Amino acid sequence: MGRRIVGPSRIFPFLTPCIAYFCILLAGCGTVDLEIRQGYTNSNMQPRSVAILPFTLEEPDPEEVSPHELFRTCFYNYFSYLGYVDLPLKTVDQKLSRAGLTDSNKILELSPEKLRRILGVDAVIRGRVLAANNFTGGIHAETSIHAKIDMLDLRTGDILWETEHKEMIYSGILSPTIVDIIRDQMENVKVHQAYFKTAEIFSVNMMKEIPDPADSWNEEIRLPEITYIETNLKPDLKLKPSDRIYVSLKGDPGLTGYFDIGSWKSNIPLKETVPGLYTGSYTIKASDKVTSSLIIGSLKSKNGLIGKKFYKNGMAQFDSSSTNGP
Amino acid sequence: MILMTLTTKNISALAWYRPLGMFLFAILISGCASDLQTKVAGNLNSLSEDQTVAILPIETSHLGQKEMADMFRHGLYANLKQSKFNLLEKYIVDGLLKQNNLNDPASFLTINPMQFGEILGVDAVVFSRINKVERTYFILHSSIELSISIQMVDTRTGEILWRAEQTEHDFSGIGKIPTGIFTALLAPIQFVTNKFNLRKMTAKMLDKLTALVKKPENAETNSKFENPVIAKKATIDLKKIEELQQLKAEWTQALALDKEMEPEVLQDGTHQEAEKETRALKNDPSSLAPQAMDKIQNEGPLRSGVRKVLDVEGELAPLPTVPQPKGQEAGTPAPLNMWKATLTTPTHIEDGEKQPRELVKSGKNIKYAPTRSAAFYTVQVGAYKTKAYAQNLSNKLVKKGYNAFVTRNNKQIYRVQVEKFKNKEDALKLAELIRKKEKLKNFVARATAG
Repeated sequence: MGRRIVGPSRIFPFLTPCIAYFCILLAGCGTVDLEIRQGYTNSNMQPRSVAILPFTLEEPDPEEVSPHELFRTCFYNYFSYLGYVDLPLKTVDQKLSRAGLTDSNKILELSPEKLRRILGVDAVIRGRVLAANNFTGGIHAETSIHAKIDMLDLRTGDILWETEHKEMIYSGILSPTIVDIIRDQMENVKVHQAYFKTAEIFSVNMMKEIPDPADSWNEEIRLPEITYIETNLKPDLKLKPSDRIYVSLKGDPGLTGYFDIGSWKSNIPLKETVPGLYTGSYTIKASDKVTSSLIIGSLKSKNGLIGKKFYKNGMAQFDSSSTNGP
Repeated sequence: MILMTLTTKNISALAWYRPLGMFLFAILISGCASDLQTKVAGNLNSLSEDQTVAILPIETSHLGQKEMADMFRHGLYANLKQSKFNLLEKYIVDGLLKQNNLNDPASFLTINPMQFGEILGVDAVVFSRINKVERTYFILHSSIELSISIQMVDTRTGEILWRAEQTEHDFSGIGKIPTGIFTALLAPIQFVTNKFNLRKMTAKMLDKLTALVKKPENAETNSKFENPVIAKKATIDLKKIEELQQLKAEWTQALALDKEMEPEVLQDGTHQEAEKETRALKNDPSSLAPQAMDKIQNEGPLRSGVRKVLDVEGELAPLPTVPQPKGQEAGTPAPLNMWKATLTTPTHIEDGEKQPRELVKSGKNIKYAPTRSAAFYTVQVGAYKTKAYAQNLSNKLVKKGYNAFVTRNNKQIYRVQVEKFKNKEDALKLAELIRKKEKLKNFVARATAG
């Protein structure tokens, strides 16, 4: 009794759907093919500051949702995690608007020199959403974003990296389970969330490919230095209305100084009286209630980094008896 | 297939499918179980774009979770970027932590948030930990379970602004009704091996987790802390600062009064001598002999006392060597006649007053010889407004073999003094010994026996 060998003709019908199934599953989580140009690999030429320009949409806007704007926001949220000094989207839009540029398509046509003059950054990221689709019908649900994104070096006019990728969230007859199909259908109906989720996956996949220059800057990170902070607070001093808290701090010159009284009062300005010496005060009001708050002096540099120092020799304490009526 | 069959059957058959529908719905709800406990503080609302928050590296329960931790931190950053406050960029956080040798996320919770405030220049920090990442597979069933803890602490006050704990569980298997035999076999494998599913779950989890922080104004009463909660490490250190302040206030008061008393205590040439030395120190401190320098240092406890407190503050760890009161003790009022009689001399409030003795050095041991003179020199190691503080320090010194006693002057200040000497040199020697051995700042005072 010889053992019967199963021929390829028997395996083939099972093999095909298996391969098809895996192909479809993997299609949903495709990697982004990011083309990095040679110039980018030169660490000396890596851009430090980057602005993300408004993304454009080639097709008319779908109802109530702007997938390209959603994608830009989502992309920025993930991109700012990398080691670039990225300009907040609001700042980018304000600068462009001040220059009379509100049409996203026209912004993309601007020369690198002009963009650099307006935004003051080393590079920009441009995004063109070629197609955006959200469809839910029967047992088929799909949301996709097809976009072309690149980074343009404004100093040289060269493209540092670029990609064209389609990210799709799909659910349908080839989904593994019925529960998944129903759940995906329900989720896909929420158009805004569905686009955001697709944009999120697109962004995450892109971030894995974009070179992160964080390690190059590690040595350079330095917070503004505060050598000492002094106040007129004393251990046994209870503050009364119209009393004044005087704060002075010594540190790096030419910065923006301010102080906080715990988390209760923030950003009370300090004036630089002589280079490196900052002074300021706060007058207690009758409505103020300060219970054991520390004074924190801060110096903020132009690039947004803040140096802080706590004054630990006294706490701001309010004399509750001064406001208590008879 | 089942769905297609459903549509072709006649209406009477629907009664049979109703339980199936219920079953599907139940699975739909339970399929992806999520347990989220989150609370925010009212002060979270006060964080604006002027405030900066740092997301610290994620603590993991074992090394295999590093990739998950990176993914989670990136996702958390992207989600919190939608909040009102400003986020400190990851490379700056990591760079500054590295510069300060803070490389172990497991140790972050043992560090005072105020310290992070100074190191990173931020108003709040986010601590998080991955408690569990579990992927299981068994033939036709597989599951993924994630568990995460997170808290945001205000570095200025130590207040916990947000605390959340979430467990997310999802599975693939027969329970979810596979669409075919292949999917029944392959979907569970694909579910646990494909990183995309883990990423999808993490993204979903983060979306729910950060919902309240993104819009704290939407928080319902049961999602808010009833009272401000202060982080444990901050509570300990703030308490220390408060205690130090109390102590410093005592010192300041006592020393101010003591200064007034100084001319009375250091009589005759002693005071003039000390003054002369001080003037010389001001002119050229290096010109003074070490012995003279010691005298100046021991002259008044004001400078030494303040210096001591500042050192402790710098470390923010141990309290000064001055004993802590075990309970507040009310000072014993002195008899009226005694008050009148001790305008310039200390009032001894301890029994067994001893006569001044002379210091006799015998080998390594120091012995004291009794003296009969009424005026004497003594080493003052502390002055307190509260009797309990003075008593505690005195008891501590007595236990160590010193002849310590508490005196009270007419300003109602309790002073801790050690020994009584006929000549000043012996007192200075003991002062030096106490300073070196007990690390107690002191000075030599002259007084007369009451």
